[in-house]
Parts: sequence; C-alpha cells; structure tokens
Amino acid sequence: MPTPPDPTGKRVLMIITTGPDEPDKSYAPFFTAALMAAMEIETTMFFMVHAPELLKKGAAEKIPLKQGGSLKHFVDMAIENGVRLLACAESIRDLCGLRPEDLLPEVKIIGAPTMADLVLDADAVLSF
Amino acid sequence: MATIFGCEIPEDRYYYIERSQMTWVKVEDSRVTIGATDPAQARAGRILFLRVKPAGTVRERGRPIATVESGKWAGPIIAPIGGTISEVNTEAEKEPSLLNSDPYGRGWVARMTPSAPEELALLLSGEAALAKFREVIVRDQIHCDRNPP
Repeated sequence: MPTPPDPTGKRVLMIITTGPDEPDKSYAPFFTAALMAAMEIETTMFFMVHAPELLKKGAAEKIPLKQGGSLKHFVDMAIENGVRLLACAESIRDLCGLRPEDLLPEVKIIGAPTMADLVLDADAVLSF
Repeated sequence: MATIFGCEIPEDRYYYIERSQMTWVKVEDSRVTIGATDPAQARAGRILFLRVKPAGTVRERGRPIATVESGKWAGPIIAPIGGTISEVNTEAEKEPSLLNSDPYGRGWVARMTPSAPEELALLLSGEAALAKFREVIVRDQIHCDRNPP
C-alpha cells in the first residue's frame, strides 16, 4: 500500500486534459504528482477531455518518451507514491469512447459535480 | 562488503527492502543512521533534490523521512523503524549527488533515535538481505554506477 498522506497536510488537485496525441506533455503531470505525494501532499489527478486515454490499460506502455522508456514508468511511480487517479465519466464515454473496464484498476470514475467539490476543497489547483 | 552484480552491500548494517525502498540502517549507540543503498541510488539515477524532515520530527515506521528526486524518479525515503529524527545531513541536502557518489558515507540522509529498537528485528541483515538484494537487482536490471547520468 502507498504511504497515506499526512492528515495535517495540504491538498493539490491537478487537472489533465491532454491525451496520447501530445506525448511530450504526458509525463510531467505524473512526475509532479509523484513528487508532491512523496512530500505527503494529498495529491489527486483528474483526467478529462482526452486525458483518460492515458489511463487505458496498456496505453502508457505505448507512449515513448524522448528521455527513454515509456510513460508507464511515471504512471507506476505516481500510483506507488499514493497519487489518487480520477477520471471524468462524461469524457470517458463521449470523447474517448472507452468503457470503465478499459481503464487501469487504480482509476476511479467520477462526474462533474464531484470535480467541482474537489476544486473547492483543494489548497491549489494545477492545470495541464 | 558483499558485491552483487557490481552493487556494493556492506555487511555491517540492516536493510529495509520494500517496494521502491532499498534503505540501510546502521546502529550507532542509541541512534541509527539511515541512507540509500548503492542499488537504490543507481536505480534512481543522478539525484538532484533531497529534502529531509527537520530534526525533532517524530515518525512511525513506514512514514516518509525525506523526499528524493532524480531526473527519472521522485519518491520518499521511508522510516525503516519508528523514532525521532535527531540529525539531518545538511551537506547532502546542499549536494544531493553525495547519495550517488558515497551512499554509505557522506551521502547518509538522517539520524534517528528509535522509539522501539525491537523494530530492528523487522529489517533484513546478513544472507537474507543479500538474497533479497540479488532478487531486486536482477528483477529491475540494476547496474550500479556511482556516477549515473
């Protein structure tokens, strides 16, 4: 199990909208989230528009990075450090054409109202 | 000093090898010194950032005592045993690559006063530690290099 965040710590919400079409933009959010989670910041990544496609089973392995390796290394690192992965139900269905079971088991699917609560509860919101 | 596929493993200390963690613990009187092992630094790559929780911080076993970042890895260093951080290696905070170049010496991370010294029994040492290192080094294809890119 990942290390739980410090209950007295801060909360950061990261909103990711870019999908596999822009691989250069794909890894920085996962790396940043992993680092913040390691610093005991409660870190949530919310994937919407085409970003949920990054979370499709087997997709990250097929996204090569210029520095070598694939995006999977960074997805795994974020999960291991305890980053929470949330994905937009509407984007998954209407824009990505995916079914919930197509996504990694660590991903929780939520709707827009829940996202609104997360934005208001966070100490900082980062948009990628 | 044992050597496994080029990775040096001193036999005078305990080891915490769980998930991404490969940490050493050396008992010195009533305190322990904690640092990253040779295979840990090699797997992480050149370490660019080290932030250690301040002296006086009380940590249970399994909670982070430091954060490390390299170009390809970001993660915590977990307290292998519970206790109070008594000293931080500020030299390594200023020069994080010491964790790469001298992981068992000047690249130590923190000293702690254990709250429950019996937790040392939960760590690995001797042949059990070497067997676990061998398993992880082979599985993750780690090639030890004290000056990684």
